[in-house]
Amino acid sequence: MKCNLIVLFVVFGLMLSSCSKQQKPLEIEEVSLVGSAKLDVPERLSEWGLFDEPLAKLIPKKGVIPYELNTPLFTDYSLKKRFIKLPENTSATYVANEVFDFPEGTILIKNFYYQKDLSKDESESQIIETRLLINEGKSWNAWTYVWNEDQSDADLEIAGRNVPVSWTNEEGVIKNVNYSVPNLVQCKSCHELSGTMTPIGPSARQLNGDLHYENGIKNQLTFWSENGMLDSLPSLPTVQKLARWDDPNSGTLDDRARAWLEINCAHCHRPEGPAKNTGLHLQASVTDYYRLGVNKPPIAAGRGSGGMKYSIVAGKPDESILLYRISSLDPGVMMPELGRKMIHEEGVELIRKWIAEMSDK
Amino acid sequence: MKTTYPFFIAVIFVMSCSSPQVEELGVEWKSIERDLQSQLITAGDSAVIELPAGHYMFTRSLSVDGNKHLIIRGQGVDKTILSFQNQEEGAEGLKIANGVSILIENFTIENAKGDNIKVTDTDGITFRNIKSQWTGTPKETNGAYAFYPVLCKNVLVENCIAIGSSDAGIYVGQSDSVIVRNNEAYYNVAGIESENSRWVEIYNNYAHDNTGGILVFDMPGLTQTGHTTRVFNNKMVSNNYRNFAPEGNVVATVPPGTGLMLLATRNIEIFGNEMINNKTVGVAIASYKIVEAMSSGEETQLDQNIEMSKVDESYDPYPTDIFVHNNTYQNKHWFPTLKNDFGLLFLVKFPFSTPDIVWDGIKNEQGEFSLCVKESIASFANLDAANDFENLNQEVDPFICEGNQIEPIL
Repeated sequence: MKCNLIVLFVVFGLMLSSCSKQQKPLEIEEVSLVGSAKLDVPERLSEWGLFDEPLAKLIPKKGVIPYELNTPLFTDYSLKKRFIKLPENTSATYVANEVFDFPEGTILIKNFYYQKDLSKDESESQIIETRLLINEGKSWNAWTYVWNEDQSDADLEIAGRNVPVSWTNEEGVIKNVNYSVPNLVQCKSCHELSGTMTPIGPSARQLNGDLHYENGIKNQLTFWSENGMLDSLPSLPTVQKLARWDDPNSGTLDDRARAWLEINCAHCHRPEGPAKNTGLHLQASVTDYYRLGVNKPPIAAGRGSGGMKYSIVAGKPDESILLYRISSLDPGVMMPELGRKMIHEEGVELIRKWIAEMSDK
Repeated sequence: MKTTYPFFIAVIFVMSCSSPQVEELGVEWKSIERDLQSQLITAGDSAVIELPAGHYMFTRSLSVDGNKHLIIRGQGVDKTILSFQNQEEGAEGLKIANGVSILIENFTIENAKGDNIKVTDTDGITFRNIKSQWTGTPKETNGAYAFYPVLCKNVLVENCIAIGSSDAGIYVGQSDSVIVRNNEAYYNVAGIESENSRWVEIYNNYAHDNTGGILVFDMPGLTQTGHTTRVFNNKMVSNNYRNFAPEGNVVATVPPGTGLMLLATRNIEIFGNEMINNKTVGVAIASYKIVEAMSSGEETQLDQNIEMSKVDESYDPYPTDIFVHNNTYQNKHWFPTLKNDFGLLFLVKFPFSTPDIVWDGIKNEQGEFSLCVKESIASFANLDAANDFENLNQEVDPFICEGNQIEPIL
């Protein structure tokens, strides 16, 4: 009986797989489940009152302050406009090595958009989504709003969705991506530390850089401190500063590669992160090269290992699982697992160079 | 019977392709993706999510996070089928994280790009009556694990079926208080594997036609080291399938024809199992050193790796406190696998009678070591791999002793 079942199973599998190439993609009808999903959250972005009308210009209301990171996460070449809103008369507290301690009620706002033609100085832009990260006291919570076609407002998105986008890059090449807006659980799968939701970006080393404000250029930390947004900022030269991954003037190759790995990987790959089970730790502060992956065998990589034995082999990028995985678009192989459908060519090139020039010691 | 398979399959293969009616196999796939994911997100605590009967196709991982007392229930393994064949996004089929007391049961899940079901950082997870599989011929591009609880406490996997994993069918990693019982695993590289887990019971399972039936491993550099595991009353039959694990993974070193393998782990009791027709070895007991040697194939690299494993000071690369007793062994095969260095070694050293129980002979000369073997009928071999197989021998006498009987965890 068992034998028969196995035969049937194998045969069935072969029939499906042997002919799959000749088939058209399956037409799949969407059906509804009983029971509706309701959340006690504003259905529209405009209800939050963060930006002046017209909303798409992203002109912040009073108390909504722009900020930038030295090295941002790669998300399919989308551009980002970040803002923070602290509750009135409150401030964040400086933390040397991690994200600042933000008061309850803080809102971090991240708008993802594409400039339609990057080969021109000015072109139309398309905002895809706005993500809000809110400190609700007990924990942070994330909500995602997807912009409508006429860019007049954005709607709350729970289950996640794909938005096809195309644009022209700096070299005049047309690029397409089926941009993926994450669902609310996927948000947490990156924004998680020791099991609770947390911001990733606004740490001292990421914010320690200049920004063009209304009244001129200023270091962001200084601006925050001067405007009562940040407590206990020590003297600026003693504050850590993360390199800009694409600016050779901001750090050595090692600094820039480690900055790229930190923002793209270390939100999971750190001792308190969701990928702690792998034993691979990629924060910029890690000094143990085994933890960084050098001569470290994979733990649960499965076919993600690509037939290679170690995460990193010094001097040999093409024998390094890490490079293989950041260069892949196969969902079962690629890293990060979420948030990208394209290869970050320039980032991959940076890591390739870093591994190639790494000495064997 | 066996010899007729290829012919039979070949015939169907040809027939199926010449037939224009293939897509009308009777399966109508539907999508419940948006609704189901929304329900999973808004479920809150103490919710029951019913999966209706039918065939459902998904393009993204289904994610669940932070729920307490959640039940996800299908209408039966043959009634509710969740397929990730068209998956574009996410590495897992179903991913559950940071939960408390989660029960998932009564459905089939198949063909995820990575793992079919991954559960992480959860206290209390029960998998019951679930079939998790990769369809088609077992191959390297299949996902790693069919069932993958990791960093969990109080894990129960029962009455489940795991098929076609390119690593392990049922894999329990870095978890505590684990019961794996009454399951069936076949056409996986490893049928069932416990890795770096503590207080584990693996019993009444049927692991057949995998590369290796059941593995209990301990690897360096992880959040915890494993120990205290009972493997009993399992059937490990004809685990002779080719090893199709992607290279670089530790299971890629498991020789086809392995019933049970212990690696670098301690306080293990193996009893009442039936090891039948596993052509290379019934029970293999190995140190991390030998696996590293196998996987790198270079002695110099090996030393370097052992140095690296010492980065983790709590890690001990040698197995110890192993008690193997009252198991039964049968092997109708005359030859071990010839696709693995161990198989070749056995062929030369033990012509026409591969040993039932094999120890690699590598122990910590400074530390303690205990291996007890009490079997009525079983052949034994000490490979003496530490000395380049110089004193390889089959004397079981030094190992006949009463080992530690482990208390049940419940």
